[in-house]
Amino acid sequence: MTAQTPDGVSGPSVQRPPAEVRYAAELDTLRAGDGDPRPPGWQLSLRAARRFIIGDTDAGISRKFVGNPSLVDRALVTLATNRGLMLVGEPGTAKSLLSELIAAAVSGDSTLTVQGGAATTEDQIKYGWNYALLVAEGPSARSLVPAPMLRGMAEGRLVRFEEITRCPLEVQDSLLSLLSERVVAIPELTGPDGMVFARQGFNVIATANTRDRGVNEMSAALKRRFNFETVFPIPDLDTELALVEAEVSTLLRRSGVEPPPDRDVLEVLVGTFRELRAGAGAGGSDGSGGSGTGSDRPSAVMSTAEAVSVAHAVGVRGWFLRGEPGSAADVVACLAGTAAKDSPEDLARLRRYLEQHVPRRRGPQWQALYDARHLLAD
Amino acid sequence: MSAVFLGVRHHSPACARLVERTIEELRPAHVLVEGPADMNARLDELLLGHELPVAVFSHYRDGQRAATSWAPLCDYSPEWIALRAGRAAGAEVRFIDLPAWHPAFAERTNRYADAEVRYAEATERLCRHFAVDSSDALWDRLFEVEPDNGLAARLDAYFALVRGDAEADSGDRAREAYMAAWVRAAVAAAGEGPVLVVTGGFHQPALRVLASSGGDRGSDAHGWALGADGWPEVPAPPEEAQAGSFLVPYSFRQLDAFAGYQSGMPSPAYYQQVWEAGPRAAADALLRVVVERLRARKFPVSTADLIAARSLAEGLTALRGHPRPARIDVLDGLAGALITDDLDRPLPWTTRGTLTTGTHPAVVEMVAACSGDRVGRLHPATPAPPLVHDVAAQLGRLGLDGGGGSSYRLDLTDAADLERSRVLHRLRVLGIPGHGRTAGPEHGIDPVFTERWEPRPSQGREAALVEAGAYGASLAEAAAAALTERTQGVAAGADALAEVLFDAVLCGVGTLSEQLLTELVARTGELKAVGPLGDVLATTLGLWRHDRVFGVARGPLLAAVIDGATERLLWLLEGARGGPGVDLPRLRAVVAVRNAVLHAQELLAVSRPTVAGIALRISRDADAPIDLRGAAFGMHRALGGSPGASGDPAAAVRSVAAAGADALGDWLAGLFALARDEVTGEAEGGGDRSGAESLVDVLDSVVCALPDHDFLSGLPALRQAFAFFPPRERERIAGQLLRRRGVRGSSRTLLRTTADPLVIARAGALERNVSRLLSRYGLGAAP
Repeated sequence: MTAQTPDGVSGPSVQRPPAEVRYAAELDTLRAGDGDPRPPGWQLSLRAARRFIIGDTDAGISRKFVGNPSLVDRALVTLATNRGLMLVGEPGTAKSLLSELIAAAVSGDSTLTVQGGAATTEDQIKYGWNYALLVAEGPSARSLVPAPMLRGMAEGRLVRFEEITRCPLEVQDSLLSLLSERVVAIPELTGPDGMVFARQGFNVIATANTRDRGVNEMSAALKRRFNFETVFPIPDLDTELALVEAEVSTLLRRSGVEPPPDRDVLEVLVGTFRELRAGAGAGGSDGSGGSGTGSDRPSAVMSTAEAVSVAHAVGVRGWFLRGEPGSAADVVACLAGTAAKDSPEDLARLRRYLEQHVPRRRGPQWQALYDARHLLAD
Repeated sequence: MSAVFLGVRHHSPACARLVERTIEELRPAHVLVEGPADMNARLDELLLGHELPVAVFSHYRDGQRAATSWAPLCDYSPEWIALRAGRAAGAEVRFIDLPAWHPAFAERTNRYADAEVRYAEATERLCRHFAVDSSDALWDRLFEVEPDNGLAARLDAYFALVRGDAEADSGDRAREAYMAAWVRAAVAAAGEGPVLVVTGGFHQPALRVLASSGGDRGSDAHGWALGADGWPEVPAPPEEAQAGSFLVPYSFRQLDAFAGYQSGMPSPAYYQQVWEAGPRAAADALLRVVVERLRARKFPVSTADLIAARSLAEGLTALRGHPRPARIDVLDGLAGALITDDLDRPLPWTTRGTLTTGTHPAVVEMVAACSGDRVGRLHPATPAPPLVHDVAAQLGRLGLDGGGGSSYRLDLTDAADLERSRVLHRLRVLGIPGHGRTAGPEHGIDPVFTERWEPRPSQGREAALVEAGAYGASLAEAAAAALTERTQGVAAGADALAEVLFDAVLCGVGTLSEQLLTELVARTGELKAVGPLGDVLATTLGLWRHDRVFGVARGPLLAAVIDGATERLLWLLEGARGGPGVDLPRLRAVVAVRNAVLHAQELLAVSRPTVAGIALRISRDADAPIDLRGAAFGMHRALGGSPGASGDPAAAVRSVAAAGADALGDWLAGLFALARDEVTGEAEGGGDRSGAESLVDVLDSVVCALPDHDFLSGLPALRQAFAFFPPRERERIAGQLLRRRGVRGSSRTLLRTTADPLVIARAGALERNVSRLLSRYGLGAAP
């Protein structure tokens, strides 16, 4: 396993080793017991990859992605066909985690990653040059610096393209021929080096969030080469609450906070996030929050990940300021920074939520949240 | 010989096949089916040769409660097969469940809902274990796409697990005890002959236990009396109650519309195909129908997309280990290949529930294709549903049965005519041809109290009545149910909502239907436009307070809507943004909210101080539109918020005036729309308070200090603001202005000029021109 891992990532000093290192043992178990047919170039069969992601308690495989299993099914089958996979959704819905897990399962390597951004160029996608060598020797295979796409094609692996919609459109479109012809021509090189054909096992997982610059601007030609999967926030309260509680407990321990988070406070926090996310005020006063409409949603991201970070801040605040677990008042104080960020609209919406919706909820912590509403800075 | 128990899922083709096969092999003497026992004498009606789906429709009404419920049957219902095949095999077929009116069925509208949904713990565990999204997907995986061998054993194992240790609720326990009594009676009656029991799988493990225990001839251990013939007695409804069961035509759409605890197996059209041609053919047909529907809607579906959808579906089938493609394999394949956008709503087949607004149009088509549009038809010899008789009786009683040719003029203030009008309106909302209204009130505050109804062609009237029979037993109930369905169907829009609401008022059905109320309130909560919602609130509030005609004053229908609309408006108003100018509909909405708080406080969930607090916040919100801020300022005053909190209107006027005469006019328009009495009256009454300056005084000095140009540009806004005063009050203000200047005279002349304003303006311009000329030549200055 470690043979394919870039050196240095398994050392203890690494903040966050890639999935294939974190879950190396599970991948080994799955690979050993994998009797199902594998698509060419894949390290695991589809079913084993699925078990890796969704989890299989009997076999000691942990559940790593909390979401609809059918989404994982569709994603894996898509990758086994000749279309790329596009994961879209609100920020913080674990799209990148999912793509990392899939790449780790399918190729045993999740590090072939292009990070999209306004400054991304074609060099960072396909190939660039080592200019010292280029000047000294002219274009040669030695002076070529392959970028993730080229490596993925040559080695037959999955390539992750994060935040693809943040790239300029012309850069996005450089993927067109690569995805349909499955070959990259390097005109500077002659002979067999001049064409890099994709080996079996190569495919692309792109992620895009719906906030920055949606997928609407993407060219139809490129859209056609991807199958789209929308990743949704966690649908039910209990699952989300459990996830937040687990993550926050870990984070708080790491920050030196002794008491575990108060579950009732967490429930209020997660409930607030869910209602704001669904567009509070849209018939969501019963807590189901299902019927929200676009215009009521805050522009800030109300993801589970944000809930975790607020809960972390709440815990830290409570412990280091007063020596006790975080309270509902801390939630209000910390919410302003997250739910509102720099948008006065969102701050107003949050205040409106606290004033109009929270008093309808029953429970001492909700009451405490309402009583602390004045803490929301103007 | 003991009984053979078949636990089935209602509307499952696999279970239907199993029932058919079992009857063939077993040749039972008795077939007992989960169904209303009070239908036993009329089973022949069911087998007349209807086009399915049809439903056994049951209604019940007594002093305390009213209920309607359905037991839908389609071609592939195991119960239907048991009935048909059992008869064909010469068995005695009986329904063995309690009648639908029995309290065990309270809150249940679909007899053949999936019972396990109510005890979800076990199915959730199974879904997690098999890593599927929903119990529907789980069911398909375990039963529908698997080959049939060993099906009975798998079903037994599944339902034993689902039932597990779950403590059934009292309704289910009563039903199971009753069904067990029938099983025991059948076993006793059959002697050596086999007995087949077809019930919902959830009940089957319990029935097995109950049927083998207790019970002897004459009196049953569980308290169910046995009749003289040895069979359990069918409980009769209380004497004062009305109850009955009838056959009505049903449709796939209705079958698919149940949600939550009432839902059964979804996607009837798809499973009809599975029943007729098997899962593979059904998958192909589904793919074809979806593509045809999408192309008909001009949604581009290329051949490449089709190939992708197909290969995805097949890949998913293989990955999930389905021997044949299941419903979700095909749907997932289509969704993966055809949707190239981000979705607003999760794919509906990943959860149980009906479609929500905002679902991707392609997904809507997919669900519609699964659902199908088949409508059942009853054999002509079937006794007509109760609605038909009810309508005939009511028309006769009210003298409306004068044949198709008569027209009616109805005076709504007359009680008898109002009742006639209601009957005609109810027929109208049920879509029953015969009469059309040509004149009458168009909305809640239309001061028209007569209606005119003209005859219309009435072909298909009988069929329409029979079809509407599925909505309810009486005309009023049916109309309420039809309106509820319409509410569920409408896209969130105030117009559509107001229309349903007014129809409900015209039909006089408001108090009948809890569901209609819930739906209306839910829809109110989805509206986004302030103005139309304000109109809805104003009209509703008006009817609630003052109605003398329709009999809805102080009624629960309007009360629910008033609360919902007020809550929603407060939410929307505090979030309103916008530029300058006066948005009159929005101001009217604020007025409506104020009136609701002032006059219908007891209906509202929000308290008066809360609303006053919201108003205060809006009035201080620098980003809120200026007219709304003025209105909010006024509302805060009108609701008696402490004047100290909102500040002195005079001071507020000064600060607003600093932003320009335009803004001042807009702000004043808002203020005057809401609280002209409070602000001007108080200043007048308080004239002796030396410190307090009256609002008019402040305005006068502010306006007088405006430079000419500013005054002219702000004039339209100011005029608009003062237009909220009726002439009499304007006259009073004018008088105040005259007094301020120490001038005596008729204040009325200040208000109305006798000449054309344009002429006056021209005269003014001419005068200025002349005085400029005069002063240029040194001739001026002499006044």
